[in-house]
Amino acid sequence: MTVNGRSVSAEVETRFLLVDFLRHRLRLTGTHVGCAHGACGACTILLDDRPARSCLVFAVQADGATIRTIESLAQDDRLSPLQEEFRNHHALQCGYCTPGMLMAATALLAETPDPTETQIKEYMAGNLCRCTGYQPIVRAVKATAARRPK
Amino acid sequence: MAVGAPAARLEGAEKVSGRARYTEDLRLPGMLHARLVLSPHPRARIARIPKEAALEVPGIVAVYTGADLPIGTAARRALAKEEVRYTGEPVAAVLAESEAAAADAVERLASVVEYEVMTPILDPMDAMRPDAPAVTAVILADAEAAAHAAASAGAEDQEKRPSNITNHVTYKRGDVEAGLREADLVIERTYTTPRVHQLYIEPQCAVATTDPASGHVTIYTATQGQFFVREQVAKALDLPLQSVRVVPLTIGGGFGGKIQLIQPMAAALALASNRPVRLILTRSEDLLLSTPAPECVMTLKTGVKKDGTLTAIEGKLIFDSGSAPAAPTGIGALLMGGYYRVPHFHVEAFEVLTNKPAVGAYRAPGATQANFAMESQMDIMGRALGLDPVAFRLHNAAAEGDPMPDGKPWNRIGLREVLERLQRHPAWTGRETGDGVGYGIAVGGWPGGVESASACMRANTDGTFQVVTGAIDVTGTSTTFAQIAADVLGLPVDKIQVITSDTDTAPYAGMSAGSKTLYTVGAALQIAAEDARRQILEIAAKEMEAHVDDLEIANGQVRVKGAPGRSLAVAEVAARSMRFGAKHPPIFGAGSVPSPKTSPGFAAHLVKARVDRETGAVKILGHVVFQDVGFAVNPAAVDGQIRGGAVQAIGWGLIEAMRYDESGTLLTSTLSDYPLPRASDVPPMDVEFIEVRSQYGPYGAKGVGEPPIISGGPAIANAVADACGVREVSLPITAERLLAALEGGRPRA
Repeated sequence: MTVNGRSVSAEVETRFLLVDFLRHRLRLTGTHVGCAHGACGACTILLDDRPARSCLVFAVQADGATIRTIESLAQDDRLSPLQEEFRNHHALQCGYCTPGMLMAATALLAETPDPTETQIKEYMAGNLCRCTGYQPIVRAVKATAARRPK
Repeated sequence: MAVGAPAARLEGAEKVSGRARYTEDLRLPGMLHARLVLSPHPRARIARIPKEAALEVPGIVAVYTGADLPIGTAARRALAKEEVRYTGEPVAAVLAESEAAAADAVERLASVVEYEVMTPILDPMDAMRPDAPAVTAVILADAEAAAHAAASAGAEDQEKRPSNITNHVTYKRGDVEAGLREADLVIERTYTTPRVHQLYIEPQCAVATTDPASGHVTIYTATQGQFFVREQVAKALDLPLQSVRVVPLTIGGGFGGKIQLIQPMAAALALASNRPVRLILTRSEDLLLSTPAPECVMTLKTGVKKDGTLTAIEGKLIFDSGSAPAAPTGIGALLMGGYYRVPHFHVEAFEVLTNKPAVGAYRAPGATQANFAMESQMDIMGRALGLDPVAFRLHNAAAEGDPMPDGKPWNRIGLREVLERLQRHPAWTGRETGDGVGYGIAVGGWPGGVESASACMRANTDGTFQVVTGAIDVTGTSTTFAQIAADVLGLPVDKIQVITSDTDTAPYAGMSAGSKTLYTVGAALQIAAEDARRQILEIAAKEMEAHVDDLEIANGQVRVKGAPGRSLAVAEVAARSMRFGAKHPPIFGAGSVPSPKTSPGFAAHLVKARVDRETGAVKILGHVVFQDVGFAVNPAAVDGQIRGGAVQAIGWGLIEAMRYDESGTLLTSTLSDYPLPRASDVPPMDVEFIEVRSQYGPYGAKGVGEPPIISGGPAIANAVADACGVREVSLPITAERLLAALEGGRPRA
């Protein structure tokens, strides 16, 4: 598979989850595990450009796939506009759900460059956050969309 | 202007880039994976634990039972011995070379542990009966509960009883019977609130390792209070405090639920195996054995005159504490109307044990429950007498100097101010009617935890500074600390680094709980920064041959006031204090404070809701929170606390509850079953700061974490009553429950 632009080849047990492969084999620990049953969204990654819960995918199922994790968003240590807006809008507190939120928002903005507030809330409804009350997250996504050249 | 202006979180960049380090990310060489075998029964005798079933699994290193590792306190054993007290209680721990092997071994062993099942005691009302079987034979004070109870004024009448009632608190003044006789209207209702989980997104986690040279154990963990963890681990393992080191890593949410739980177990397993041990709970394990908010049954009888003057409050709270004493009885009794001026008051609270997991603190413990009852009751009385709900509350609101239920005076509070701001807000003055829309308000407060604290401030020779504390940053307090240090030193915020150190090296700070981190550690830090500033100026005065009183610090330079040409860089001052042959002592600021007096924080909620009569669904159309924050040192962080707390209150109000079946099995043991508010559930929300300065907190700040959750639930219930005429006395007001009430039927469970 290709992970964050890098080709990766490995042999794994069939039961090994993709999230564990990313975290423990590749040491990409930015992707978090909140429930391991697909309910919280903390482990959201992009799998062939679509948001996916990496706790519900076996590593072997991702054979040949193109994967992007939170570690791919910043370029040369420069935060992406979405990351900057999350930071500026206090769209994070404990930070545990944040990577999943950012990957879901990345997918949303790729599909819908200028989403309405309702579209953001609906799209992000599968990612749980217990700290922020979500409103700063919605604002951060909106602000990112507003930065795109029209 | 560092203080009072919004500042982005210092650690924001690492958190948005996936670089922040959480406990689960830690991998130590030779590390073993621990998993726990949990009891499937709420009350049983353990007949046999055939360890060989687990030991047969390839990759298993060891299996331990309560007999092998008799650690913990009598109330909170790390592993059950002889009997289990709740479904989910750990009965064995396995250690394996891989997580998968550990999981396999747990599955094998769990299926063959033999129990003699006994009838559980699940209802606190049953448990309170004198003839009820005892949940546990051991009666004792609970350190964690005591730490949280300290957030309230001391309970005046605590009894220790040899029954399932482990605590009983009474607050009394006047003659309630006489007060009720004076009343024109007496209302009596029973209210209930459910067991609600803190539901931090990062599950409980600990990695422990031993040092072969000293035999000491180090625990890397997510906790709200590393010194508390150290003490509990040392006590559980009978070790001197010096032999235990706790290193707090980034915490993935706490809300009172991440203080101390599995750390003694992790430490014991590391010591027993002499290998590093990683113990991370799965989400289901976490829901089964961690410490949520207690269920509470409350009866309230109140008297009021036609003009809205309260004459008497008589109340009782029964907290279901689960299998160990930990309920917030004192705070609950204190806040069941204790913020209203009433001549006759009698409230008692009971802590009752049952065969469920022990409870713990969840954001404003005790306040959320008591306030739901009291503020619902206020609404019922106000409606019955045709009173304006804001004016009715203002008419009875306590003020500075009025007695609290424990007889001590209220310190300065903003109760009146938050209500007055609500009264003027366009969302209230411009209320719309019709179409199933209703409005509800409620107000409540948090006494404010206090504890002694210390902090220090170190200079570096490049003109940067390090703030070192033992305070865990759960809410953004490190950023606020940097703002304070920068303000005192006259430096930009980016010159300040804030370090939460481990228990071997950090100056003492209490756990980050009770809304007291900025209030206490921030105050200590302010003194430390002032100390460092004084030292800088004294050194500069000597170096510049100026009088110390003529000097100021601005933009990283020490300057002679009014003589801009004469200056010396702070970096140079620092460098001259720390080098070979230095003439000056190193700049080192220290600050310590005793427990300050409290500055209780109040917040009012205004909720506009629509009830769908076809489905029973409640839709919140608008929500405004008015909170007295004292002074917002970092308005962005304060705003975040209020919004996050208010959305948790929506969870309390409408959806959240841990549910058990009649055999004591948790039905909501996954995040697919336990509902949390989602982005799509959040209404348009406004936040209004009211700043009634504290006389004690740094810059006049008050604790802000707890207040915003307290009154959201009752405000929603009151809005529902206004919208559809149905008074719900039990939270959460689920669509199912409300529909049943609208149809006149009885709600299921």
